Order: sequence, then C-alpha cells, then structure tokens
Amino acid sequence: MEEKEKKKHRAKHSGPKAEKKRKRYLNDLGIGDEENARKRNPKAFTVQSAVRMARTFHRTQDLKTKKHHIPVVDRTPLEPPPVVVVVVGPPKVGKSTLIKCLIKNFTRQKLVEIRGPVTIVSGKKRRLTIIECGCDINTMIDLAKVADLVLMLIDASFGFEMETFEFLNICQVHGFPKIMGVLTHLDTFKNNKQLKKTKKKLKHRFWTEVYPGAKLFYLSGMVHGEYQKQEVHNLGRFISVMKFRPLTWQTSHPYVLADRMEELTNPEDVRINPKCDRKISLYGYLRGAHLKNKSQIHMPGVGDFTVSDVSFLPDPCALPEQQKKRSLNEKEKLVYAPLSGVGGIVYDKDAVYIDLGGSHAHEKEEEEVRPNHELVQSLISTHSAIDIKMASSKVSLFMDSRPLGSEDVGQEFVMPKEDRQIDLKTGRVRRKALFEEEEKENDDAVSDEEDDQEEAAAMSEDGSDGDDEDAEEESDRELLGEEMALRRTKRLKTEVAKEAAVSELPAFADSDDDLEMSSEGEEGTTAPEDNEMEEDEEEEEEGEQSTYENGSSDSEFESASEKVAESKQHEINSEGTEMRSQISDHSLKRKAALTTDSGNCTAEEASESEVENSSLDEGDDEEGSRDESEVEESNRKGIRDTEAKKSGRIKPTKLKSVEAEDDDVENLLREEEEYEEKIDFSADTTGALKWKEDLTQKAAEAFLRQQRSTPNLRKLVYGTAVEDEDQESEDAGDEVGGLFRVSRPDKASKQKANALDCSKFLIEKPQDWDLEEVMSSIRDCFVTGKWEDDKDAAKLLQEDEELYGDFEDLETGVVHKGKPAAEGDESGSEEEEEDEKMSKPDPEEEEKKKERMDKKRKLKEMFDAEYDEGDATYFDNLKEEMHRQAQLNRAEFEDQDDETRVQYEGFRPGMYVRIEIENVPCEFVLNFDPHYPIILGGLGNSEGNVGYVQLRLKKHRWYKKILKTRDPLILSLGWRRFQTIPMFYIEDHNGRHRLLKYTPQHMHCGATFWGPITPQGTGFLAVQSVSGTTPDFRIAATGVVLDLDKSITIVKKLKLTGFPFKIFKNTCFIKGMFNSQLEVAKFEGAAIRTVSGIRGQIKKALRTPVGAFRATFEDKLLMSDIVFVRTWYPVSIPTFYNPVTSLLKPAGEKDSWSGMKTTGQLRHERGIKLKQNQDSLYKPIVREKRHFNKLHIPKALQKALPFKNKPKNLEKKGKTPKDQWRPAVIREPHEKKISALLSALSTVNNYKIKKAKVKHREQLKEYLKVKQKEDEQKFKRQKEAKKKIYRILGQREKKMQKSSLKGSNKGENM
Amino acid sequence: MGDCLQKLIMSHHKMLNATDSRIDFEASFIRLIDKVTNGSRIEINQTGTTLYYQPGLLYGGSLEHDCSPSRSIGYYLESLLCLAPFMKHPLKIILRGVTNDQVDPSVDVLKATALPLLKKFGIDGEGLEIKINRRGMPPKGGGEILFACPVRKVLQPVQFTDPGKIKRIRGTAYSVRVSPQMANRMVESARSILNKFLPDIYIYTDHMKGVSSGKSPGFGLCLTAETINGTVLSAELASNPQGQGAAVLPEELGQNCAKLLLEEVYRGGCVDSTNQSLVLLLMTLGQRDVSKVLLGPLSPYTIEFLRHLRSFFQIMFKIETKTPEEEHMGGEKVLMTCVGIGFSNLSKTIR
Repeated sequence: MEEKEKKKHRAKHSGPKAEKKRKRYLNDLGIGDEENARKRNPKAFTVQSAVRMARTFHRTQDLKTKKHHIPVVDRTPLEPPPVVVVVVGPPKVGKSTLIKCLIKNFTRQKLVEIRGPVTIVSGKKRRLTIIECGCDINTMIDLAKVADLVLMLIDASFGFEMETFEFLNICQVHGFPKIMGVLTHLDTFKNNKQLKKTKKKLKHRFWTEVYPGAKLFYLSGMVHGEYQKQEVHNLGRFISVMKFRPLTWQTSHPYVLADRMEELTNPEDVRINPKCDRKISLYGYLRGAHLKNKSQIHMPGVGDFTVSDVSFLPDPCALPEQQKKRSLNEKEKLVYAPLSGVGGIVYDKDAVYIDLGGSHAHEKEEEEVRPNHELVQSLISTHSAIDIKMASSKVSLFMDSRPLGSEDVGQEFVMPKEDRQIDLKTGRVRRKALFEEEEKENDDAVSDEEDDQEEAAAMSEDGSDGDDEDAEEESDRELLGEEMALRRTKRLKTEVAKEAAVSELPAFADSDDDLEMSSEGEEGTTAPEDNEMEEDEEEEEEGEQSTYENGSSDSEFESASEKVAESKQHEINSEGTEMRSQISDHSLKRKAALTTDSGNCTAEEASESEVENSSLDEGDDEEGSRDESEVEESNRKGIRDTEAKKSGRIKPTKLKSVEAEDDDVENLLREEEEYEEKIDFSADTTGALKWKEDLTQKAAEAFLRQQRSTPNLRKLVYGTAVEDEDQESEDAGDEVGGLFRVSRPDKASKQKANALDCSKFLIEKPQDWDLEEVMSSIRDCFVTGKWEDDKDAAKLLQEDEELYGDFEDLETGVVHKGKPAAEGDESGSEEEEEDEKMSKPDPEEEEKKKERMDKKRKLKEMFDAEYDEGDATYFDNLKEEMHRQAQLNRAEFEDQDDETRVQYEGFRPGMYVRIEIENVPCEFVLNFDPHYPIILGGLGNSEGNVGYVQLRLKKHRWYKKILKTRDPLILSLGWRRFQTIPMFYIEDHNGRHRLLKYTPQHMHCGATFWGPITPQGTGFLAVQSVSGTTPDFRIAATGVVLDLDKSITIVKKLKLTGFPFKIFKNTCFIKGMFNSQLEVAKFEGAAIRTVSGIRGQIKKALRTPVGAFRATFEDKLLMSDIVFVRTWYPVSIPTFYNPVTSLLKPAGEKDSWSGMKTTGQLRHERGIKLKQNQDSLYKPIVREKRHFNKLHIPKALQKALPFKNKPKNLEKKGKTPKDQWRPAVIREPHEKKISALLSALSTVNNYKIKKAKVKHREQLKEYLKVKQKEDEQKFKRQKEAKKKIYRILGQREKKMQKSSLKGSNKGENM
Repeated sequence: MGDCLQKLIMSHHKMLNATDSRIDFEASFIRLIDKVTNGSRIEINQTGTTLYYQPGLLYGGSLEHDCSPSRSIGYYLESLLCLAPFMKHPLKIILRGVTNDQVDPSVDVLKATALPLLKKFGIDGEGLEIKINRRGMPPKGGGEILFACPVRKVLQPVQFTDPGKIKRIRGTAYSVRVSPQMANRMVESARSILNKFLPDIYIYTDHMKGVSSGKSPGFGLCLTAETINGTVLSAELASNPQGQGAAVLPEELGQNCAKLLLEEVYRGGCVDSTNQSLVLLLMTLGQRDVSKVLLGPLSPYTIEFLRHLRSFFQIMFKIETKTPEEEHMGGEKVLMTCVGIGFSNLSKTIR
C-alpha cells in the first residue's frame, strides 16, 4: 500500500510564535525593533523639518480646540423630568402603531387609543413622555420646541414627504433636538436590491439634512398589525441610552407639556354666562428652568397668561427607588396618561383620585374597544371641577356618624376657613378664619364671633406652617361663598358696636396680634387711635378665654387688662424656667406672631430701632424701666440680636401712638426677660462695667436668643410667606354690592410716604470707640489682629518647617532636622502603633491623628499642585469653575424640604406641577381636544412685552414666492406663533436701513415688526398661512432676532423736485420744491442736484413765490433742468400683533386658523383689479430732433489760435463770371480731319496694344505651368537623392556609434 | 429690557404724595430716567400726587444732566449704578449738582465702594469710572462728575462670603472754598484714632480751587477700609451746609468719621451698608446660579429693597444669621443666598 501523503509543514505567518521568530531574524540581521533602532540610529529619528513639525503641531492643536464648546454651568436637575419623545411623520406612516409598540415594549401594557402625551418609566433612571405629532403645522411648530428626541417616521415605499422636510426646518430654527429617522413600510419592497438601493438613497438624503452619520432605524415588516418585537425592542434600547444636548431656549425657559387639564370655574358663573372666562388647572412635568409663582407664561395657540397659582404634586409616574439591580420589575414599569385615561391614581393639590372605572367598567370594556374613553369624556365634560364636587360630597363611615366632607380627609384637626371682612373705616381687608362648628354658634352671639376671629387669626399665624395652611384655606374659600352673605350683615353689626366703643373709651392701646393692626398703628396720629381703641375693646372682651392672645395690654392705662397680661406672663415664665430650650408650642408660636408683627414695621422705625440699639445712652428714656436697662446690657455685650433690635425701638416722642407702641415693646421685653430668669431686677445701669457680671449666663442667653432670632430675620423681611398673595387675591374680590370698589390707600405706599429715602445706614449714636473693650471687639478684623489657625502666617511657617524641615545637604553631608511640630508630636508617632491596638483612642490622640491626616493631605495637595497645574489651560480653569458653580447650585438647597426650597429657587424642573390659570377663553375648554399638545411656556422677565423687533431674515430657498413688505406673515418666535406685518430693509454701507419692497431672492435682508420682545439670537420661522395644506413647501422664511428697540430706523427715499424760474450765473431761484418758507428753512444747506448732474446747495428762502428759494450750483443751469433734493423718510411700522389662537378653534377645525389676509389674496378673492398708475406704464420713447446753435469762437481767440486749430471757413466756389469764362476753340475743317484721323489711329493703336497684352499674359501663364511641372520633378528628384544620402549617412553614424560602444573593436576595424 | 428694573428703581424712589420740597429732586430724577430710556411714558397728574410710569428701554449713550441741588448726586448715581450695566449703549453721563452732602452717599464713597463691587460681577474694563471734575457742596452745589459704565449681557454669580482682614485704610479729605488747612486737620484727627488699629493709613487731601470748587464752601472726609479679599468698607462725614446748623470743627469731624468707620468695621460683611441693596440687586439679576454674600446687619433701606425684589422678581433670599466664631471680629453678620433670575440684557445689540 502506498503511504498516505504527509502534510507538508506550514510555517506560521502570524501569532506570537511568528513574531518571535521574525524578531530573532531581524536581530540576527542587526535590524532590531523600532526602540532598538532609535537607540542605534538616533539621527534618523530627529526633527527633519522644523516647519513641518510646527505645522503638524498646529494641526493637532486646531483639531483639539475645534472640539471645545463654551463651557456652561450644568443646571440639569438631579431627578430630570421625562424625556419628551415626539413621533412625527406624514399621515399613514405608522406613528400611532409605533407609539403603541414602544409602550408595550416598555410597560407590557397595551393602549388602545392614545390621546395626548403618555409618560412611561423606561429604565432605572429614565422616563419618557411620548407624544404624537400630526401634520398640522401648528402642532409641528409647538412640539419641535419642546422635543428632546424626535422619531422621524419615513415611508420608505414613498420616500421623503414635504412634512418631513418642514419639520426638519422647524427643528433647525428652534434649536436642533436629537433626531432619529425611522424607515417604515420596508416590507413593500419585493426586490431586495431595490430595497438596498432605496435605503441607501434615503439614508444619504437624511444625512445631508441632519448630520452625516445620523442614526436611521429600519422597521421591516409588520406582524399582526404591529412592528416586529425585536426591532421595537432595539429601538427602545436606543432611546433609553440616548444622550441629549442642552438646547439654549429650552434650558433658559421653564415649560410644561401639560398632560391633564381640569376646569375650576365656578359652575354658577358658567350658568349665568356660558361664555365667561374660565379658570383652569393644568398638570405636567416642569422642564427647562425654574418656574416662579405669578410669572408670565404663554400657551401656544391660546395666548399669554399670568400664573395664578403653582403647586407641586407627588410624582404620578415616579422613578423607582435606587436599587442595586439591573432591570425594573413589573410594578415599577409605570405608565401615566390621564388624557388617554391611563394611570390608576391621579393626584390633585388636596386630594387623590383612584380611577376604578366604575362598578360596571368591566362589562363596558367587553362591549367597547375603548374602555377608558367614557371616563375621560366625563372628566372633560364636567361643568364643575372634581375637587369642588369632592368638597361637596360627603361620606359617612359608620352609621349615625357625621358625614365626612373632603375637608375632613387628610387633616388631623379642623381647619379654619377663611372669611374676608372689610373694615369700613380704613377700608382694609381682614381675613377671618372660621370653624365649621363655631360658625353655627356664631349665629346667636355677635361678640362670640369676635373672639373666634381673634383666635383663628392666632391659629393661622401659627409658626411657619401658617403658609401651607393659608394655601389650603384659599382652596376652601369657594365653599364659603354662601356663608359670606350671611356674615356680611353680621359684620355690619359688629362694626357699629365698635364705633360705639370708640366713644366710650378715651384711652389708647395697641395690639400686636395682627400684622396689619400694628402697621396701622403707625399710620398717623388720628386714624390709629380709632383702630387701637377698637382693638382694645376686642381684647377686653376676649380677655379671659384667649390663651393665645398676646400680652399686649396697656399697662399704664387699664389695670384690668394689665392683670390679665401679668397672669399670662407668669404662666409663660413658669414654662420657660422649666424647659428653656423646648419652649412650649404656644409660646413659640406666639413668638413667631410677635416677630412677624415687628417684621412689618416701617423702614424708618427699623432704622430708629437700629440706632437706638446701638446707642448706649440711658438718659434719654423717660420710662427708664428695667426692661430698657436689660436691653442696654445685652447691647453692651455686643450681641446684636435682631429680636432685641426690634424690641429696642424705644424713643421718646410726643406722638402718643408711638408711646403706645412703647408699651407694647415693654410687654414684649418683659416676657423675654422672664424667659431669662429675671437676672437682675434692680438694674442700676450707672455702673460702667456692669456688663461683666454673669458672663457665662449671658452667653447662654445670647445663644438662646440667637437660636430664636434666626428664622425671625426672614420674617422681618418678608413677613409670612403667603401674606402678600392673600392680600392680592382679596383685593381682586373686594367689591361692595358688586358695583363699587372700595378704594383704600395702598398699605405699602402709606408706610413709605413720609420718609426720606436714603441708602445710608445712619448711626446716630455710635459706640464709644475710646473704650478699650469696644476697641477690642473689632481688633481681629485687621491684619494686625489675630488670624485663624489656617491662615496665620507664623503658624503656616511653622507647619512648613515641619513638612520641609528635614533635608540633607548633599555637599557637606550634614543632615538638617526640622523642628518637631510640637512636643507631643514625636510621642504621637511613637504611639501610633499603640493607637491601632487601643480600641478607643483619647480625644487628644484623635486630634493628633487628625493633625497628621491634615499634614498628609497638605503634602498631597502640594504635590498635586506641582504636577497638575502645569498643563491647566484657560479652558480647563473655566470648566472647573463652572463645575464648582454647578455643585454649589445643587448643594445649596439640597437639605431643605421642598416647601421652603420652592420659595427660594422656584419650582425646579423635574417636579410634577399643577398650574392654575385664570381668564382663559371659554373656547379653550369648550373645544378642548387632547390630540393637540398643550404647552405652557414660561416667559423671561420682559418677554411678555411688545416692541419693535429687528430680524435677519432670508426667504427659504424652497419657497416659491418672494415676500412683500407690509404683507401679514405668521412668525413662530420663542414660544409664540403670531401674525404680524414685517417690513423688510437692507442696510446701506453707512448703516442706514433702507426699506425694501420685496425680500431679495437669495440673500439675507433685515426685517422689523411689532411684536413680542424675544431675546437676541433666538431663531424664528415664517409661514404665510397655517391653515389647510398645500403641496408646496410651507416655510416662507427663516432667520434670527438681532435687536430689540422701542423706536425704528427704517427709512425710504423721497425725492423732492423743483424747477428754476430765474437763472443768474451760478445762482438760480427754484420753485415748486417746498410749500412754505418754514420748509425751506429746514432744508437750508441741503445738497441738491439737477438731473443732468450739476450739484448745488439750498441757500435761503425767497419771499415770493411761497416755497421758492435761492440756490447755488457749480455751473449755470438751463431753464429746462429739473432740480431735486434726496431725503430719507422714516417708515412707520404697523403695530399689528395677532397671536395665532388655533387651540380655540372647534375640534376638527384646529388647523384652519386664518388671520389677516394679504391685499393680494383679497384682490384675488373679490376680483378687484389693481389700478395702475398711469405714470408707471411703459410708453414708446419719442425723441425730438434737437437743433444746436453754431459754435461761436470770438475773433480775438481765433487770432490767438495756431493755424491748425483755426476754423477754416472755406467758402463754396461761386459761379465764375462770364467774363472769366475761357473762350471755346472752333477748329478749321482741315484741322478737324487731322484730329479725326489721329483719334482713329490712336484707337487702332490702343486696340492693338490691348490685344498684344492679352496674348502676352496667356503665354506667360503657359510658361509658368510648364515651369512648375519641371520644378516639381526636379524637387522630387532632389528629395530622393537627399533621402539616399541621409540614409547612407545615418547608417554610417549608427555604425560609428556601434563601434564606439565596443571601443576596442573600433580600432581593429579601422 | 429692564422695565422691571426701572419700575423697581422708580418704586424705590418714592414718588407718591409729593407734597413738600421733595418734588424738585424727584422731578429731576424722573427727567434723568427719561433721558437714559427710550420709549418711557411718564404722566404726572396736575396736583403732582400720582405718577403713571410705563417703563421704556434703557438706552444709555452720552448724556448730561443737571441734578437738583436739594439731594446730592449720590442719590441719582445710586440708581444709575443699578441701571447702567443693562443699557443698550454704554452710558457716559455728566451729572451736575451737589457732590457731597450729609444725607446721601457721596460720590467719593460710591467711587471707592460701588465700583469694586461692580467689578466682582463682571462689569469691568476701561469704560467703568467715576470722575469728579468739580466739587459742589450744598446748598448751591456746582459740582460735576462723569460716570461711565460699560454694558454687559449677563452678570456672573458671586460667592462673597469671606470679607478677609482689613489691610489698609484710605480716604479723601476734601475742602472747597475754605482754608486748605482744614483738610490736614481732619486727616490728623482721623489718623489719631485709626492708628491704634493699623499702621497703613493714607488719607489724601483734596483742596479744589477756582471753578472746580463749586458754589458753596464746605469740607468733609471719606474713609475706606480695604481688606485683603478686596472688600471695601466706608464711612463719611461732611460739614454742615453754609448757613445751616453750627459750624463744625474739622478735628471733631475727623474723629467722628473715624469712629463711623470703626462702627462700619464692627458691622462688617463683605459689602458696606450703603451698597447692600446694590449687591442684592445684582445677585438677583445674575444667571440661574447660586450667589452668596455676607452682609452686616441689614439696613431698613435694604429690608424695604428686599421686599421690592420679591414683588418684582418673585425672588426670596435665604437669610441666615452668622455670629463670628472668634470673639474680636465685630458684630453679627447676615448671609444672604439667592438663585439669580437668569436675567440677560435684552437691549444690547448683537452683530
């Protein structure tokens, strides 16, 4: 048998073994790897060309810096709002199907009908709000402004449609969100090659529009009416990992894509007037920037509004709590779409609704395809808002129990309700809080009501919670409507009673229970007295029962009230001594109330108090009571307690009202003092160094006061947070009998009225700076004083010594030892090991350890600084700074609860908010269609105003027509869509804005219109009409805002013409240009010109004819000349600004909004022909023959000219006279014969010569022909001969060359 | 823009119930506002008790204004300092009137304190200056200053919490139409007090003569204390106007002024009491970032201003009281924190 052929060995060409071999081989050759080579041949690796090296360096650096963006502070919230995914495409492309598939993919739920935005949780850290965008250009514009991600669906079987390009253009203008293309209908392609081709073609077209490399997703066929599961899953994954860039407009404006709408209008108002303006609340995630209450917003398609209330709600579609797992469980896969009726729990401000679908919901589900439709419809169509219904409905849990209303739910205690009362005297509104039960009792006793009022006021003032409560009260206010009427009558009665009291009581008093009261006490001298007396009386009435009542009795006047106050003080005192740090609730609250009181003091007062506080003068106080000495002492300690400041407003004045205040202050002080355990009653303040007594105790007190004063400063400045808002709302509703408004002086203005405003903080009585103690209080404010440990130079030096002290002098070999840090330091290092063993180190040890750590950290920092600083560029520093700012922004309010946080920074993006808006047109509610997006776009500070806006505009190159000045145009700018009348202009070289009649074809031009102020740099687009569909491209122009102004600079040229009526040399009189001397005077000195180009100047007006003037020119004019002056006439811009209110149109007609029509459209509709100006018609040009006079040269000049230039006046030869005629010759017959013969002979001769000439020419021709032939032959022969010779010569040459190559052979041959 | 700003300024300068002598300087102020704006509408009723004001656009440019001598230029300049960075064109205005008086912050103080403050917010460069061409004392005035300020689109947020230690004290002792010796006497007396704290004191004497000395005699002293972190605290005093009150001894004035400065140091903070409202306004108008500033006790004017800020910009400051940790560092301080409203200068043209 033949042996099986063995496999041949194959040498390895790759892999480590081959590599090794190659290396060995190269090493053998002496050519090592590159590193070796570098060592072996360093010259080969040096710089070959410095220029080239510089260039490459430049290039890399250029590429590097190109990637840089201007760093911005990262203001994205920690918990971002859901990403807005807009699904856009032409009709029938599969948008709804895709949304349904995506929702199913993420949540395992199947939505049958989708209306409005759907919010889903797509991952651990991301939520999506998916919304469909139809082909209505209004919707497209609105959604492009809020989109984070655009899924652009393209029907591959059809190709790109106009809508796609329109949407792309809209996106480009309003900041470019992330765009992902999705090709659908790919299953219609039967031919695979065709499919491939189409894909490629579409992809490249898409890339040119978006950016090269933009993601284009392919959704191949459908399975059971849905896209393939795997493909949708992939798409979902793409979406959930996508990163978004911040868009300028979006990050600088708050906005809400509303996903729920409720109507809050009073049903009664609607019943009375079905067309009345509505009050609505809208819900949604806040995005972009912080939103502040009472700020201005714009609802595209509706109009501008002021937010009347904002509140944040618990997140209905919250992200899961952070867990260490990879995916979400089924519970966390939430979906929230109230407009589509999805999402079980709906939160409101004060209620939670659970959508059970009703008891028969399941049956209906079987019947109907759309289960939730009905519910939403009912929600939408309700005349009264749900919370109102909820409020009126009652539930009883047990038999025989009192039915529970909505106000009872979620409140531990019975909340007071608010009632508003109007004080007839001062015209001020007092908010009255009412309790349900008490109200019933109130009916019989009027005086009781007073008490209630006081009590409730005290309640509502309670602590910081007061804010929230107030807010809740507001919501309850509607309920009180019917009670109000009842109350009003009662109030009148009480007021009468009060007035009676006024006459009875001659004394003054002051109450400090209410903010307003105290402020009123300062109004003047006469008015407050009445008030106070009223107050006083009230107090008397309630004296016994009200424990909350402030001890504001007037100690000097009424002994009875004083007793009460005293008793109260004792009460508090006992409490205070027991637990000073935990003062009982009531007293704390009362404190708060007190401070709010002082918080409302006028500026002047505060200044006074400040001044007083700083002063140490004892003598000026008439009262000179122990309280004051107390204050002074505290002052001397240098503890500037704000509270003390407030209380320190004691000033001797003749005004009794102020005296009354003093009493109030006294009381206040007394309480405070008693908190502090009555330090020394018999304070004899004459002792200079009294302040040194009881230092520790005082320090403790100071600390306490400090603790208390901290929240008070805020109240001092702002009062209670909600107070202002309440007042405003009260103002609005403050009408007497529905007819008259009670006009009363503004509180704020009253306060300010009589003071001189000055920013200087006056110090009337400074501290005695000669005293050593006082001086020492600021000793350390100077560089000469003691420094903090970490900044003290001596200390730092010492530390440095510790760090760098040790070194060895290498030259001498001497080792320098640094000084030990402290004596304990060495021992500390020794004890280090011990430390570890010991379970609990001493505090001392710990300190040392800390010190060591600090030292190490410092060393590390220094090291880092040395090595890292080197390549930190400006850009890096800037970035670092921004980063630091971002961190500060995040950290500053992090530890505060949302309620307070909202007050400081506004509602932050990511919150689910409820926004109340009033005065919304009823059409918005009546024609509400959830398919159209509702956007609340927050406006910047002056963006609610209108003015002249200058744009740079370019007609879109795909738009078929050019745009005409003064034709209405619909702009989309900022959040808004509006119709306006732009005027186009172009800027001349000298900065003049010259009006254009039309936009240039392929060039930018300027445009100015009257409209909303929008920040510079904002992009806009213009369309001619938003209604209907046209096959053509709809976007007419795009551009950017350049400037905002209150005046305009567009001018157009105006030529005034006139005619000379008297011409002198260079001067002439011109008429017909102006109508009066005044007009001429205005134009004196203006440059004028004739049509033929002679320039001149207007000099002065003439008396007659009117409007004529004298002018000088550079040359003499002709009477036929026309003179004109060129002027520039400012164009006025029509102040036309008409927001597109497309959302107010009835359902189904929302895309048919039409505003002002262009004149062209109107003419076309009505069939009106334009009457043309006869002057503008073209006529055949008829030019008359002009006759010019002869040029006349003066004789003198003629003489001087050289002959050449002299005019040569050659006269025509006249007829020669008869006498000069030459006589005719008459020949003899013989002579005649001779001459006849001669002529005959000459004729013959001529003929002969002629004949001979012809003959000779022919002969010559013949001869030349022959000659040519001969020559040709001769030439041919010569050529051949030459050829022969040259050939021979050439051959010889070749031979020669051959021989010369061979060299030696040549010689032999020769 | 700046309508809100203008309204704020206007409301801050109380306009209502003008019954007394106030009317002339308020009228002058309205005229000034009218000059720096474009498109404002101002209507005052016949009795002069109500004012309707519709803000226009802050325009700026080169202007001149004669201020009423019943208030000093500082009164007008304070408002201009708030408005100037937000104009359309850089403001360059010549104000004529009283440069130093006893009521308002004088031009010297504003020059020394407000300008460094503006620089912290990014309003700096060559254009920013206050120059005193002539001094004018009350009652007749006759002074002239030049105020120039560049425009900015946005302001930088500030973190201004560490005032640092005072490293030097500077000042100006001015005297017009009195003996030039007055200034020297003031300097000497002020130094006698301040030298106990710091050796680095230099007080310039500024004696104006001739046409630049205004129409009335007077003298005064402005002191500024500068810290290592660039905080400037100030105090000033001026003599009584001619014919009003008793004559003031320059020694006494110098000493009192020095004590006022010490008082200001005691109050402390990163901004002196005159400029509290300015710094709060600029913080409010910053970008949407957190700004912080440490102030001394809030003046009543500032408190009122804070309320205005809330009503116009819906902004609330976080107010924390801070007691200095060390004993000899003066009185209590207030830490003010806020998030800017994201204001940008809309009137500035872009090219």
